Amino acid sequence: MPSGTSGSPAAHRGRAPDQSGQPLLDVRGVTIQYKTQEHLVTATYRVSFKVLQGDRFVVVGPSGCGKSTLLKAVGGYLNPTEGEIRLKGEVVTKPGPDRIMVFQEFDQLLPWMTVLENVVFPLKTTGTLKGKAAVERAMHYIRKVKLADFAHSYPHMLSGGMKQRVAIARGMAMEPDILLMDEPFAALDALTRTRMQDELLQLWDETRFTVLFVTHSIPEAIKLGSRILLLSPHPGQVKAEINSVPRGQEDSNEAAALGREIHDMLFADQIEEAPHAASAIATGT
Amino acid sequence: MLQAQSLPVLERPNIYCETLGPEQFGIIQKPLTVFERVYNQVWLRKIGILIFLALGWELYGRWLDNPLLVPPFSAAVQALWHDLASGVIPARAWASIQVLMIGFASGTFLAGLLTVFAISSKLGTDFLDTMTAMFNPLPAIALLPLALIWFGLGAGSLVFVLIHSVMWAVSLNMLAGFRGVSTTARMVGRNYNLTGLRFVARILIPAAFPSILAGLKIGWAFAWRTLIAAELVFGVSSGKGGLGWYIFESKNQLNIAEVFAGLLTIILIGLVVENVVFRVIEKNTVQRWGMQS
Repeated sequence: MPSGTSGSPAAHRGRAPDQSGQPLLDVRGVTIQYKTQEHLVTATYRVSFKVLQGDRFVVVGPSGCGKSTLLKAVGGYLNPTEGEIRLKGEVVTKPGPDRIMVFQEFDQLLPWMTVLENVVFPLKTTGTLKGKAAVERAMHYIRKVKLADFAHSYPHMLSGGMKQRVAIARGMAMEPDILLMDEPFAALDALTRTRMQDELLQLWDETRFTVLFVTHSIPEAIKLGSRILLLSPHPGQVKAEINSVPRGQEDSNEAAALGREIHDMLFADQIEEAPHAASAIATGT
Repeated sequence: MLQAQSLPVLERPNIYCETLGPEQFGIIQKPLTVFERVYNQVWLRKIGILIFLALGWELYGRWLDNPLLVPPFSAAVQALWHDLASGVIPARAWASIQVLMIGFASGTFLAGLLTVFAISSKLGTDFLDTMTAMFNPLPAIALLPLALIWFGLGAGSLVFVLIHSVMWAVSLNMLAGFRGVSTTARMVGRNYNLTGLRFVARILIPAAFPSILAGLKIGWAFAWRTLIAAELVFGVSSGKGGLGWYIFESKNQLNIAEVFAGLLTIILIGLVVENVVFRVIEKNTVQRWGMQS
């Protein structure tokens, strides 16, 4: 159980009172293997962590550590070979609208629908809301990501950052138990990325959604996360699970120290592992 | 080292500039000239090409002065106009189009079924792969003798060869389109609990629409060709012939201008379908969605 010794007020406020002690997402001893044409690749090995209500839980690790694979398993796209993933106590076996994924790729928006239609689409197909109520909910979240003027534009008319904002609005409009974000800002330029990070935090301040965020960027993890899980590469194993610095202190010395600490932990055994890791990256991702 | 020391140290000041506001600029947008705007119209350029070709034909026809070989363009147009007004060509064209639509629609429908079967199982994929490999290179006309034995002299045989000519081309394109749908789009669909036919209808078909449309275009062209050729070969069926039969008949009566009129009709229908029907569909789908420029 995270003790919150960092004294982060934001992290405390965000967490719903959790008397039952039951985590929202419980990942227990998850090993994921998948087959390529020639190899059986172990992506993660016995990874365990718990995500609480209102967490901004960030999984960080170098490429080839299986963090995207892990997120896909939480999404229900892959089944772990060992261990289990429970959401609200229920074992995850297939994808579902209680866990909405936000991908890195811009083509996650369906190009034949306008921004509004894209956000309404999951609400209607899953039967969450119907007719006007669906449109109203969608517009509410589109306004939240500041895209009201573009509600009737098609995705190909939007910039990369705007597309990701639509994808986030689409995920949030479903009000899922947990939002799964797979490096959603990695394909953006640095300026847009910083702005999107600020906006995501602002959105979190307003709605306190639970998010599981995967990134390979240590600064992004420190800035966005309330709790950070470090994975080692090939196969991904838990290296540490730590609290981040309080909100708005991502430029402080404390944050810099944390960044160095994470960096050292992640890359300590990099030199001897490098040849294996290289081959793993080539086949694994 | 020595070299580096001998280089003079250039003192460069920091430079800061004031930028102009948009209202201080003269022209940001300037309208194009009339010629540029006319030249940018695709249909005007195409009509220009057509006029050029028609002129060439007219001049050659007059120079040759042998209406049995190449009647001039004006004679063909006259024959076309005459038979259009008398109702012969519209009736023949309508007969052809009716058979064509039945064949095209059922061919496309069967292709859709086959492709859905192909993407839902490995066996289905193998089946479609094998079938298209076998039948796609087989000219539909080669099946006509068999079709005549099976379905007799009539629309049945024509529809059979039409289905054969449409189905394989369309299903090949559909399958390629479905296979090309990005993993992300598929995962998005599955995230919203879409499975089975709903997944195909809501995600796969729209996402593969550029390929499907290309397949339909190819299928349409194949169908037209096959139909006219089949009509030329076996001609009148139950007293009603199509355009192919009209061409064949006119040739037998040495009305060469009418032969050209028949060919022109086929070309015109092809142009209308390509430039009106398919253009409109493209404009309202793949182009609006930015999937095709």
